[in-house]
Amino acid sequence: MNESICVLPCNGLDKCAGDLSRRVALELTQSEEVELICPVLLNQNKTRYEKALAAGDLTVIDGCNTRCASKLAGDLDLAIKEKVNVSDVAKALDIKLGVEIRDDQDTQAVVREVLEKINSSAAEQTESEFIEPDSIEYNTFSHGKFIFKVPQSNYFFNENDCWVTISGNMARVGVSDYVQQNLSDILYVDPPEIGDKFEQFDDLGSIESSKAVFEIISPVSGTVVAVNVSLNDAPEQVNESPYEKGWLVEVHLSDFEEDQDLLHDCPAYFEFLQRKVAEIDV
Amino acid sequence: MITNKIGVISCSGEECLGGTISRLAVRKMMEELKPGMVSTLCLPLFIAGDGGEREFAEKYPTIAVDGCSKCCAKRAIEKYSNKVAGSVDVAEIIGEVKALEKPLSTRNVTDEHMEYVNKTAAKTCEIFDDILIKSI
Repeated sequence: MNESICVLPCNGLDKCAGDLSRRVALELTQSEEVELICPVLLNQNKTRYEKALAAGDLTVIDGCNTRCASKLAGDLDLAIKEKVNVSDVAKALDIKLGVEIRDDQDTQAVVREVLEKINSSAAEQTESEFIEPDSIEYNTFSHGKFIFKVPQSNYFFNENDCWVTISGNMARVGVSDYVQQNLSDILYVDPPEIGDKFEQFDDLGSIESSKAVFEIISPVSGTVVAVNVSLNDAPEQVNESPYEKGWLVEVHLSDFEEDQDLLHDCPAYFEFLQRKVAEIDV
Repeated sequence: MITNKIGVISCSGEECLGGTISRLAVRKMMEELKPGMVSTLCLPLFIAGDGGEREFAEKYPTIAVDGCSKCCAKRAIEKYSNKVAGSVDVAEIIGEVKALEKPLSTRNVTDEHMEYVNKTAAKTCEIFDDILIKSI
């Protein structure tokens, strides 16, 4: 955890998960380096917290998937350093929270787990073995006011608009230009854990804008060896450079030859995307 | 008789003890004093604009229970929905100095705090009953 952090819980009152977000936040503020941010006062008077937000990283604790605290941070253009969703943590622990606010073994376990998530530093990642190409050439097409770009070669795409590019047995995964334009300003990237093993089309984290959350569907199978930590401070790189600086996850491939059968190469994806954009009339 | 058609919104309560009291008072009202008769609206959800909270407060009388004189809940309701049907300021019940003490986790709440909760809940129930009588 950084020396100074601001904690923004959702503080919901009508569900147990919202109440737990508050309990976690209050536990965290036992430390002098943590400033608790009241979501409602923040909405009403942002200047009240300007100093604290300028000095510390922002951790957001959402109670449920309505993500009120995240949305508030997004609406106010606050950069989120870390984010935890109480309901997701409870689900992973196989605990049903429900509506009733309670203080029992289950809710205490959820609070402990959320605190641990926030306090634990990211796993060490080794230096990248991925060799980046010198330059990437793009093809583009326009539709209305939008211009979409797709690399000319060395990228492969699934139909969920996630890409993979290969360097030996290593690969990088990201989202297409189409995804970033749909989401608009990316506020937060929720990467998988280093060491996670996954199959093709498994969920590989998510990215989030003030408009929506996009689940990253992995185009390949493998093991996570690195995540793009520069996105912690600059998630907008996904918007600015979706195929290069905005890569999301680096993986050790397990069977790319087989995975490739279900992927589009660049020319095929270019055509696929043209059809898709025309059909949904973006 | 209307049931479940009066809303109560507590302030979010992270700035001060008054906020802790307002939250507990609204829970007490909902669970013990007026069970099944009151709809508790989630203020963060209300501000986010999801979940039908704003529409509820536009259609039905809604009471704001605020922890201090900043009156975040009352202001939010009036900004996004409608005039409040009634409002409670915990600071007026327990005193400004006390209300502005640090917020508490519910597990650290003492008998003294529970007395404040009871008074705040009773005041909110009074307003609730008045609204109910007028609506008949």
